[in-house]
Amino acid sequence: MTRHLLKLVWNRKRSNALMILETCVSFLVVFAVATLGLFFLDNYRQPLGFEWKDVWAVGIGRGQSAEEASKAELDAQRATFERLQQEVRSLGPVEAAAGSAVIPFDQGGMSSSYTIDGKDVRMDIDVAGEGFDKVMGLRMVAGRWFEKGDGGQGWNPVVIDRDLARTVYGSADPVGKSFGKADPEELPMRVIGVVNDFRKAGELMPNGNFMFQLQRQGVMNGRVPSHLMVRVRPGTSPEFEEALVKRMQEVAPDWSFEVRPLSQVRTSSFRFFLTPLIVAGTVAFFLLLMVGLGLIGVLWQNLLQRTREIGLRRAAGASRAAVHRQVILEQLLLTTLGVSIGTLLVIQVPILDLISVLSRPVFASGLALALAVIYLISMLCVLYPSMLAARVQPADALRYE
Amino acid sequence: MIKNYFKVALKVLGRRKFFTFISLFGISITLLVLLVATAMLDYVFAARTPEVHADRMLGVYDLSMEGDGNIWGSPPGYAFLERTVRPLEKLPNVERISYVTGGITVASYLNGRKIESTLRRTDGDFWRVLGFDFLEGGPFTVADNENGRFVAVINETTRKRFFEGRPAVGRTIEADGQRFRVVGVVRDVPVLRYGSSADLWVPVTSAKTSAYKQEWMGNFYALILARSRADLPAIKAEFQSRLREAEKQLPDPKNYKKLVTGADTLFEGAARLFIPARATVNPANRLRAVLLVLMLGFMLLPTINLVNINLSRILDRASEIGVRRAFGASSRTLVGQFLVENVVLTLIGAAIGLALAAAVLRAFNVSGLIPHTQFQLNFRIFLYGLAIALFFGLFSGVYPAWRMSKLHPVQALRGRSA
Repeated sequence: MTRHLLKLVWNRKRSNALMILETCVSFLVVFAVATLGLFFLDNYRQPLGFEWKDVWAVGIGRGQSAEEASKAELDAQRATFERLQQEVRSLGPVEAAAGSAVIPFDQGGMSSSYTIDGKDVRMDIDVAGEGFDKVMGLRMVAGRWFEKGDGGQGWNPVVIDRDLARTVYGSADPVGKSFGKADPEELPMRVIGVVNDFRKAGELMPNGNFMFQLQRQGVMNGRVPSHLMVRVRPGTSPEFEEALVKRMQEVAPDWSFEVRPLSQVRTSSFRFFLTPLIVAGTVAFFLLLMVGLGLIGVLWQNLLQRTREIGLRRAAGASRAAVHRQVILEQLLLTTLGVSIGTLLVIQVPILDLISVLSRPVFASGLALALAVIYLISMLCVLYPSMLAARVQPADALRYE
Repeated sequence: MIKNYFKVALKVLGRRKFFTFISLFGISITLLVLLVATAMLDYVFAARTPEVHADRMLGVYDLSMEGDGNIWGSPPGYAFLERTVRPLEKLPNVERISYVTGGITVASYLNGRKIESTLRRTDGDFWRVLGFDFLEGGPFTVADNENGRFVAVINETTRKRFFEGRPAVGRTIEADGQRFRVVGVVRDVPVLRYGSSADLWVPVTSAKTSAYKQEWMGNFYALILARSRADLPAIKAEFQSRLREAEKQLPDPKNYKKLVTGADTLFEGAARLFIPARATVNPANRLRAVLLVLMLGFMLLPTINLVNINLSRILDRASEIGVRRAFGASSRTLVGQFLVENVVLTLIGAAIGLALAAAVLRAFNVSGLIPHTQFQLNFRIFLYGLAIALFFGLFSGVYPAWRMSKLHPVQALRGRSA
C-alpha cells in the first residue's frame, strides 16, 4: 500500500515537490513561533528569585559620568549618596533601601566573563549595597549577604546565585572560597554567600549565572550606584513618591531623580518581549490561513485532474471509503515528507547547539506542537476535496474522456 | 494585444471564483504586511516635521571608543562635539549646527498627580535646524540659552496635562525639581523621531551642573544643517578628518585608541544604533541588507503558495492553451500572456492590501500604542507598494508561465498535463 502510494506521489513529482516545499516552510514558521512562545511559558513557570511588589527603583542622574570624574569628585559623590540612603531609610513608609547598579526587568545590564579553572564563565553582574537582599526579598541558600564593614580586608566579597555556584563549584560549598583568578590590578574575590536565584531579566527570560559585587570604593571605579532601590510598606500611596523625590532633591540639589515602581518596569519588560511574539504570531496565523486555503484549492484541482483515474478505481469496485482513504493517505504522505525535511533542518539547532538558551524539553515540545499544527491543517484541508473525490461516479470518468 | 490580455485575465478571474478568492487573499495579506512595514519605516526616516530638512541634515548620534578588546559606546559628549563638530560651523557649506540631548524621563507632581515627561536640553539654533509647528508662542533664543534662562517649549500633550489645554505661554511648569517659564507650544512629535521628539525642550544651560562640558561620552546629539544635499559628502569627509585629529588627544589613550562614528542621515543614524559600530562596515548598507532579507524571507511562503495555485489554474486551462498553441502561438507569447494575467491579479490584490493597510494603520493610530504617531499612506508608499506588487507578480508567475509554455499542444488539447 505504502509503496503504491509512493509511486502515485512520484508520478506527480513536480507539483508534489511544490506542496512538500510549502509544507516544509510552513512547518518552519510554526516551529519558530511555537518554540518562542513555549520558551517564554517555560521560563514564566520557574521561580523568579526576588519580590518586585512594593519596590521602587529611584534612578539617580548625576549629570556626569563616573569615568570622567576626578577622585575628589567621586569621594564627594559617595558621601552624598550615603547621606541620601540614610535620609530615605529614615522615612516612615520605607522598609528598606539600598544602592544597585541595575534594575530588575530593565533591558540594560552588565555582564562579564571570568576564566575559572581554565573555562570561561559568563555571568550577569550587579553592584549592590548592604540591605539590597531585604529590599528585593532575596533568599540566601548559604552564607550571608553583604554587611557593614565588609570589604577592605584585602579581598572583595561577592555573593553568587545558585546557578553560578553549581557552574563553578559543582556540589562543593562555595562559601569562603576564592572566586576566579585575581586580576593583578584588582583585589581577589571571595564568595561570602549564595542566593537562591536572581533572574534579573524577569519571568520571561531563562535563569542564568549571576554575581553580586559589593558597592564600595575600588569596585567599578568607585562610582556611585545609578539606582537606589526602595521597598515601601504595602499599601503606600503613590503620593509618597512626591515626598520622597522632594526629600532626596533637598539632600542632593544637583542630582536628578526618577522613580519607577518595579511593577511598571515589569509591565514594559513584558511588552518588550511579548510584542514581537504577538506580531510574529499574527503574521504566522495569516500565512497559515493563506497556505490552508491554497492547499484546498490545489488539492481540489489535482483531484479534478484525476477524475478518470478515480472513476476507473470506482468502476473496478473500489468503495467510496477506499477512495477517501487513498486521497487522505496520499496527503498524509506528502505532509510527512514535508515535515521530515523541516525536522531534519530544525534538529540541527540542538545538535550543533546553535541557540544555547533553548532547553531540550522546550525544543521537543515546540517540535511536537508544530507537527500537530501542520498535520491538523493538512487534514482539515484535504477533507472537502477528498469528499468530492469520493463522490466521483464511474460514469464521470467515461464522460470526461 | 496587452488590452486583449487584460480582457482574458479578467474573464479568467471571474471564471473560477474560489481560486481567484484564495489568490487574492494571499496576495492582499502579503502586501498588507509589507505595506504596513513600509509605512512605519517611511514614517521614521522620511523628511517630516520637525525634520523638514532631513534631506540636507546630518547628525552625530552615537560614538564608540575602541581599544584593544575594549569598546565603549554611548551618545557623544559635549566636549567631544565641541572638538569635532563645532569647527564645521566655519565651513561655507554648513548653514547651522545645534546640539540636543537624548530624551530624559522627568517627573512632575501636580496636585498629588504624577506626570512623566520626556525632556531634552538644547540650544537656540535647534529651532532653526528643525521646523516645528508652533501652536502658540515661539522658540527660545540663542540668548536665552547663553544667559541660562529657565524657559521651556512644551508640546500639545504637555499643555493638556498641565494646563488642561488652555493657553500656556507665560505660565510656569515644574519638572525634575526645576521651574521653567513656558515660551512656546508645539504640535506633538512622534517618539519615533529619535533625534527631536520630547514633551519639554529647555536650554542646555539649565542643566543642574556644568559637568557635561568636560564629557567626551555623554548624552548629546549634534545636528548639522547643510546648505544643500550636494554638500553632505564633503561635510561627512570633513567630520571624519576631525575625528582622526581628535584621536590624537583622547582622554584615556591607554584603553581607547580609535573613535568610530559618522555624520549620519536619519537612516544611517538608526542603522548605527541597531548595528554595533565597527570601523570597517557601512551600517546603512548592512541595515538595507537586513531589511531586504527580512522582506524576501517573509515573501517566501506566499510565493510558493501562489506558484502552487497558479500551476493548478494553468492545468485547468490546458485545453485553451492547446488551442492557442495549435494555432501557432509561440511559447514566448504564452509566457507573456500568463505573466500579464498574474500581474493583473497581483495588482488587484495589492489594491485590496492597500485598503487593508490603511485600516490597520488607522487602528494603530487610534490605539495610541506608539505615542503621538499618525501613520499614514502617501504617494511614496504607494509607489513602493506598486514595486513590491510587480516584483511579487513576476516572481510568482515566471515558473508557472514557463511550465505552461512547455505544454505539448496535443497533450494540452486532450486536457492533460505533461
